[in-house]
Amino acid sequence: MRTGQPRLGSQNRIAAYFAAVVSDESVRECFAGPAAFPILPNKRVYFARNRGDGEDKEEVEAKVQALGVTATSKYMGEQWLVHVPGTHTRSATHHPQKNCVSNFVTFTTRHQATTTFIMVGPTASLAPLYRADGSSSYTCPATGYELLGAVNAPVELPARRDALKPEEATVEVFVKPGTTTAGVGERYVEGILRSVLATVILGREKGLPRRGVVITLAIVGGEDVERGDSYLTLLPALLHTSLLALLSATVPLSMTFSATLLGVTKSGIIIPDPSAADAKAMASLHALAFSSKGHLLLNESQGRFEFDTWEAVRQKALAICQNTAVSADGDVSMAEGAEGAPLHDFVRETVEDQVHRDYPWKIDAV
Amino acid sequence: MSKEAPLSVAERDFILDALHQNVRLDGRGLDQFRPLSVSFGNEYGHVKLRLGKTSLVVRISAEVTKPRDDRPFDGLFNIALELSAMGSPAWENGRSNDLEAYVSHILDRVIRHSNALDTESLCIIQGVSCWNIRADVHVLDFDGNLTDAACIGVMAGLQHFRRPDAVVKDGQVVVYGVEERVPVALNITQKPLSTTFHSFDEGKTVILDATRKEEQASEGELVIGINNAGDVCFLSKFAGDPIDALFVVNKSNVAQEKVKEINAMVDKVLQADLARRAKKGMAEEAQAENDREVSPNDPFV
Repeated sequence: MRTGQPRLGSQNRIAAYFAAVVSDESVRECFAGPAAFPILPNKRVYFARNRGDGEDKEEVEAKVQALGVTATSKYMGEQWLVHVPGTHTRSATHHPQKNCVSNFVTFTTRHQATTTFIMVGPTASLAPLYRADGSSSYTCPATGYELLGAVNAPVELPARRDALKPEEATVEVFVKPGTTTAGVGERYVEGILRSVLATVILGREKGLPRRGVVITLAIVGGEDVERGDSYLTLLPALLHTSLLALLSATVPLSMTFSATLLGVTKSGIIIPDPSAADAKAMASLHALAFSSKGHLLLNESQGRFEFDTWEAVRQKALAICQNTAVSADGDVSMAEGAEGAPLHDFVRETVEDQVHRDYPWKIDAV
Repeated sequence: MSKEAPLSVAERDFILDALHQNVRLDGRGLDQFRPLSVSFGNEYGHVKLRLGKTSLVVRISAEVTKPRDDRPFDGLFNIALELSAMGSPAWENGRSNDLEAYVSHILDRVIRHSNALDTESLCIIQGVSCWNIRADVHVLDFDGNLTDAACIGVMAGLQHFRRPDAVVKDGQVVVYGVEERVPVALNITQKPLSTTFHSFDEGKTVILDATRKEEQASEGELVIGINNAGDVCFLSKFAGDPIDALFVVNKSNVAQEKVKEINAMVDKVLQADLARRAKKGMAEEAQAENDREVSPNDPFV
């Protein structure tokens, strides 16, 4: 961690693809023109304020409104998270500092109260639940889904003794839709999730054979998948939620992974993370997952597409997940469109954050 | 695992001995709820509720369907409670258990059968189409007193929910989107809530809002469903040791007080949320200009 800077609330920090610590003056500059903060469509800007001077919700919103911006604020962790509807920005021109965990961008601070710019990707937290062995919550601002995952492992599965394999753990996945009863669509996506997760879980480790790893995923917010629609738009979110819950339950894993959804429009443009409404208009949709070692773990597609399109999609997905795309001229380029931090770092940082919170005594001792 | 881990003998004795001296392990009074927090999500009818360490999410949804043949004037309303392994490792996914059946029954009796939601107002065309309101209860953490928590959650959700406006035009049902017309609140006739008491010591000690451990150590339970006005809509003493009739009368008064308190608290949160939405909605409506960059040199600003 960088010292001397206010530590961002973990929710914010993991969410941060980039952040800038700026004064009230710079906020005005940011919104006023392209000098400090270039403005581009299709990206939301959140900014968080330190609660240093004990201001309350109304005060925060009033201060932001004084800058000529309507905003809603939310108190998260140690900070106010202020959302400015309809604001746009771009991260490409910002230079991440080398020595910090997330890609922060620092502006000179003239006042005591600092304002932090954050671009929001998915947000996640570990262990929000008491009873489950491991759990995670996951919010995806692009699609509006809120997911909760719980893992119980290892557990006895008395009812299915005959179905248990003698040499490894049985992985059970259960997807609970928000406002309907689970049906065929849920059973189908459970099958996909189970096959991905079973390859990652080390089911032959001590204590796991003949036991169950029960993964429960509940869609607690956002629109439901319509009956008959595929779960493709939710698949990456479901995978991330279950991975984080597995990590939280300390289930032995051979590797971690990250997943992403890409849509291809009718004119052949690849769009990362389309919302459920956008996804309907796409010519094809592709959900891909890559392991931490770069292996392709999951490839689910729907719609009409050619192999060349798929190859382009795969490269883009790899860039988003791992940030190690090799471009045509041989340069290892930063993933364009991935907006800074790759998804793999998102998983890593979520866990890192939890460790920082759980073991401060141990870390300080080192 | 298909059963909650039983209490150890020492733990049970500790709880019982403490209750013998009118002391509860978490320091509450005998007739006191655990801290209750209710908040609403982005969508209408999305409630996050936490009662001590018991927490759940309630989501209300509406769709247009055909009414039942024997009740052509009534809309449909049902409460779906499915316990998954998320709430407790003792619950198996996809299998119902006793607790699920028990809590669903109480929710049905307290909220549905008391006609808290006026189902006749959900009728669109007699015998042809009506609204189907569905309340989904997701139990995230179970630490006792699921019935009361779920009851508060569902009632709060019903009050918060707004269904799309539907109009009959030339015998055709037209459902307007949320952007086209202001969505309509449900018609709530009364706000009954359940309160669960557990008895110990052959009915000499009766406590409100037991935790999971207290539930396991208890000898019997009493559920009273009551509304603000004091109308008892549900009273059950399913099993366990007998308790004095006088207790039932006394506890009904306690229950009414508690229900009033909780309803007032939920109402406060609800009003705050609706006010916030109204303010936000109006600010957006009042804005005539499109999104664009405003430069300080712009002569029109």
